[in-house]
Amino acid sequence: MYISENSKVVVQGITGNQGKFHTQLMLEYGTNVVAGVTPKKGGQEVLGVPVYNTVQEAVDEKGVDTSIIFVPARFTYGAVMESLDAGVNMTCIITEGVPVFDMVRLVETAKAKGLNLIGPNTPGMLIPDKIKLGIMPGDMAHFGDVAVIAKSGTLSYEITKALGNADVGVSAYIGIGGDPVRGKTLTEAFECYVKDSGTNVIVLIGEIGGDDEEKVAQYIKDQNVNKPVVAYIAGKSAPEGKRMGHAGAIISGNVGTAQGKIDALEAVGAKVTETPWDIPEAVKTYL
Amino acid sequence: MEVHTIRLLEYESKEIFNEFDIPLADRLVITKGEDIKEKINQFTFPAIVKSQIAVGSRKKRGLIKIAQTKDEAFSMCEDFFTRKLGEYGVEAILIEGLADIKHEYYCSIALDSSGRRFVLIASAEGGIDIEEVAATRPDAIIKENISISEGLSKEAAKGVAEKLGFTGTFLDSATDLFLKLWQITIEREAQLVEINPLVLTPSGLIAVDGKMTLDDNAAFRQELIVELRKHKLSDLEKTAQRVGFSFVELDGEIGILANGAGLTMALLDVLAQHGLKGMNFLDVGGGASKERVYEALKLIYTMNPKAVLINIYGGITRCDVVAEAILQTMKEFPDAPPMVIRLTGTREAEGVSILKDAGIDAYQDMMDAVGKLKEVMM
Repeated sequence: MYISENSKVVVQGITGNQGKFHTQLMLEYGTNVVAGVTPKKGGQEVLGVPVYNTVQEAVDEKGVDTSIIFVPARFTYGAVMESLDAGVNMTCIITEGVPVFDMVRLVETAKAKGLNLIGPNTPGMLIPDKIKLGIMPGDMAHFGDVAVIAKSGTLSYEITKALGNADVGVSAYIGIGGDPVRGKTLTEAFECYVKDSGTNVIVLIGEIGGDDEEKVAQYIKDQNVNKPVVAYIAGKSAPEGKRMGHAGAIISGNVGTAQGKIDALEAVGAKVTETPWDIPEAVKTYL
Repeated sequence: MEVHTIRLLEYESKEIFNEFDIPLADRLVITKGEDIKEKINQFTFPAIVKSQIAVGSRKKRGLIKIAQTKDEAFSMCEDFFTRKLGEYGVEAILIEGLADIKHEYYCSIALDSSGRRFVLIASAEGGIDIEEVAATRPDAIIKENISISEGLSKEAAKGVAEKLGFTGTFLDSATDLFLKLWQITIEREAQLVEINPLVLTPSGLIAVDGKMTLDDNAAFRQELIVELRKHKLSDLEKTAQRVGFSFVELDGEIGILANGAGLTMALLDVLAQHGLKGMNFLDVGGGASKERVYEALKLIYTMNPKAVLINIYGGITRCDVVAEAILQTMKEFPDAPPMVIRLTGTREAEGVSILKDAGIDAYQDMMDAVGKLKEVMM
């Protein structure tokens, strides 16, 4: 789903500190990193991976179908657009701080081309023991049949590791990122694993703000989803945020509190746990 | 809790509206410290006197009043400048000529996050109860999705104006106004440009209230955002932003340093369940450098916490880097409050052994750390 152990990965920004560091960890994990791209640095090798000037060259030379972005925020738009123009199927944007306008443009372009974006500001995706496309720790859990879909990074590491410690296997881990505009919404990622025959339980990790969790609840209801869903929502004790303007409430209704999300999910049969560490026990009741 | 937007006050939004020729009432801005009397003498009364403060329902809170005379306006201004609501004070006062209101409309262009596009929203039932209208009579709200590559077309803008019931010259001016809202959205990278109410007067349309939010992530190409930052943030928040972590003051007694907004919130939730309260939300951010962790700890110490809880799950953040920063602060602040540390993830073994060599224990399990913290706080 989105990626597999056969994905051929290009790292955009491979010569930078973060790009290089995480390329090494991905290679150690066994990810098929076949190329790197940094403009004007083509011809070099980084950790044995050939570097090209453009994504198109990496596609032509190495048959790349997946990209991971480690370039600074102000260059991310250009880098992702290059990946989309080269027809790369999945582009995973790790970069934090990408302007919203750039993301709106990129998402519109990706949709028009029928290509996939994930992120920005995401840890990426992991199929345990098969492929790590991102910056998350690789040793959180072994392969299995529970998908973990999360808005936030570290909290989802915590929960995935708790699953691993409880000997629950994970079919896929996917972080959609914490920014307002994302390549994949929580509902799109959720839908992907509802349809995945290798996934029997879905763990959903949400947090206050926005209406992503309410939208997933609506999807469960509309599509009559009967795959078990276990969720945790962070931010129950957070002070109520200050709102600005009325447009948010007009677009999404009065949503966004932790309790509102918990109620919406419980109403459609999801099991919402009290703490992140209660997730493994709740998941086990369905295995 | 990840805050990447900058909220403009009404008078700041209207300065931008003015640049883009959106019709406004006659107006006068008095910022804190200016000679109120001298300013007021330049204006004609009766007029409406509006506190510029980052809270809603200003009218209900008595922060917007009508002054019949200059004297009345003067004492209102003096009073408003002393007002404080929570952490916010009145930064400026906006005085405007009274509008002869025939009808109130609502209009905005806003980012629809889940739709991942911008939307023009309008209603012929504008004013303070617009959310109520949206909740109870959604048909009274008109929404027009905008493609970012094609922009808001004149036809689409005109269609919305027609649905609001505008005809004749007012139809043209409403259409024009919607196109200007889009122009502002694009040129200033706004996530919200809102006019509520947009008022119809015998002489035409006037934006009576205005709100905008801008994208902090676009600061590298939007000079305005850099300017606004200077007076939008508290000193602590400025330090946080300069060094690169997100920080919110809370009312508990435990200093918190964690990474990731979700994990930090979950940590605060778990502490609350154990009767412990965080004094702050501090997400040190992804890929934190030694300097960033060090600055974050220093900032927490300045708040005099009873204890400090560090919870790091390294992904792009490296535990060894965090451990070195902890050692550095411990050397510099020997009298610092007790610290409970939990480190796991990328370079965990290296991080834990760096601390262990210095005689400091680090937990790998968060609940163990929370248990230790409870002991410390007893």
